[in-house]
Amino acid sequence: MPLPGGELASRPLYFFWICDCSGSMSGQKIQSLNTAIRESIPEMKQVADDNPSGQILVRVLEFSSGAKWRNTQPIPVENFTWTDLVTSGETEMGRAFSMVAEQLKMPPMPERALPPVLVLVTDGRPTDDYKSGLNQIMSLPWGKKAVRIAIGIGGDCDFDVLEEFIGNSEIKPLQANNPEALTRYIKWASTAVVKDVSAPPSQPRGQGSVNVQIGQIPAASTDPDVW
Amino acid sequence: MGQLLKEKQRLNVKNSGTTCEIISFLGGGGQGEVYKGKLDGKEVAVKWYFPDYLNNDPGLRNRLENLIKNGAPNDRFLWPMDIVTSQDDSKSFGYIMELRESRFKSLNDLMKRKVEPKLHVLTIVGFELAFNFRELHTRGLCYRDISFGNVFFDPKNGEVRICDNDNVDVNGAEGAIGGTPKFMAPEIVRGEAKPTTSTDLFSLSVLLFYLLMSSHPLEGHNESQIHSFDLPAQRQLYGLNPIFIYDPQDKSNRPDPNVHTNAIECWPIYPKFLQEMFVRAFTEGLRNPESRIREGEWRKAFVRLRDCVYYCSNCGEENFRDFESTETVTCWSCKKPTKTPMSVVIEKNRIAITRDMKLYSHHIDRDSEFDFSKPQAEVARHPTDPNKWGIKNLSSTAWTATAPDGKELGIDPGRSISIVPGTKINFGNLEGEIIS
Repeated sequence: MPLPGGELASRPLYFFWICDCSGSMSGQKIQSLNTAIRESIPEMKQVADDNPSGQILVRVLEFSSGAKWRNTQPIPVENFTWTDLVTSGETEMGRAFSMVAEQLKMPPMPERALPPVLVLVTDGRPTDDYKSGLNQIMSLPWGKKAVRIAIGIGGDCDFDVLEEFIGNSEIKPLQANNPEALTRYIKWASTAVVKDVSAPPSQPRGQGSVNVQIGQIPAASTDPDVW
Repeated sequence: MGQLLKEKQRLNVKNSGTTCEIISFLGGGGQGEVYKGKLDGKEVAVKWYFPDYLNNDPGLRNRLENLIKNGAPNDRFLWPMDIVTSQDDSKSFGYIMELRESRFKSLNDLMKRKVEPKLHVLTIVGFELAFNFRELHTRGLCYRDISFGNVFFDPKNGEVRICDNDNVDVNGAEGAIGGTPKFMAPEIVRGEAKPTTSTDLFSLSVLLFYLLMSSHPLEGHNESQIHSFDLPAQRQLYGLNPIFIYDPQDKSNRPDPNVHTNAIECWPIYPKFLQEMFVRAFTEGLRNPESRIREGEWRKAFVRLRDCVYYCSNCGEENFRDFESTETVTCWSCKKPTKTPMSVVIEKNRIAITRDMKLYSHHIDRDSEFDFSKPQAEVARHPTDPNKWGIKNLSSTAWTATAPDGKELGIDPGRSISIVPGTKINFGNLEGEIIS
């Protein structure tokens, strides 16, 4: 142990994917989303790796007729992998918001953290009461502090709802009309936004350092001598 | 690959009139992307800007051309060498710089403990940072964005490389950048000032504090009380109400033992003279830009700190001997009391004698500048008696010594004198004494 202290103290950053898996997402849309998120993971890991003061934890919520968490606990991004979403049913966004709100309470959220990032991806209109779910989020301190991003796929999306979810006139919902745009937005949300919330970017990491063997401490002589 | 340039794409190199071929993508940032390229058979780095970024920084092209024309202060700066443009993309441009060798690691890596250099290496990194930012500032230039991400070091020898020099400009010039959060001077955070040499000095102090303490000088109790670490919180902590965690007068922002363990562990291991400098930097220097510690002072302090490094007599780990104190140092690693090392006192300098102590020209010659490339003396073992240690003359002139018994001895270049407390060595225009 050549250095006192340890890693720089960091705060957790909870990153939520809130993904629409309703029937209308079937086919190319859901496959594009699966690909886009899967492709963004290595870059998200790089962001985490370059960032000494934030620890990124990922949660995935899928919603259709009802909603469910992919994992029971947040996953550190280093260990995060993506399993393809499958589609069926309605667009119960309100149910999804309620479940996100449950997770934004303290606990399970810690008292000290970076602002959470909520990324909503959908292609449609809520089929349930989204307002009460959204109100639940917005009634919580972490809900208010969260950075909320919304990506609408295609032209059938209800962008008014997405704007309401974002609740910040400076951030507009992103409209992805093709897979390239979706990939770009997903990457932006999972890297640039995360950087903005946690810390500025830096350069690739390195590896281990020198390991100097402990030697003897020079001892005092008694005889003055020149050699 | 990145988004902006393609593999094998050829860029026009403005001044040299040749082309540069893109080899691979290296990384992206807020302003653009960096690629590895090949120019005249040599690998180089190419930074290419996002077209959108150029709208925010209209002075960039001129700034770069001036930097290229005037050249780097020295080899520690990975400086813009030439402008590159593309026939396929007239909306943007970039510049070429030397490629950073892989031996250099970022301070982020140090903060994450992916690299763990020895403490004496950190003292060299601190010296190099102060020395080289001084080189920049004495040319009338201002860096404007000193932070973790822009500084790299070699964990073996402490040599640094300063990157991202495209924000460098004449001090006082208008610029597009404010700095990096946590490193910006309070007056910039509050929106009262723009980056200048003086705000660079604040950022440098923060960087040096991070280097030695792996923690932020203003993150104590007040930080641990913040729930959501967002911009308003940061504005409060670093701008509106900044309080040094070891402010001797205002103790309200001491490190939180549950959070800021690095500061609590690291602060006490450093000698008082260095602690006092950080106190000045983050009390007076926080409030009054004119009171900030200048690079020259940091430079001397890090040289002095390096002279304080010795090894624990129990576990062999590096510690710092505060020669102004008579208290026994407890080793930060094994927690046992350490034996005070012998030292050489030469005027104001006092250098701990360790198995790898070296004396440099600034130690033994009153008129000499810092030059760590040529040691003038080192600790050496007797060739036949391994229990006998001496100080070897590596200089080109003979020294004379007076043993405690009054006996005069000559020490020719290449010869050594035994380490006997009370011995005085005359190096020419300075005299030193070995102290037990």
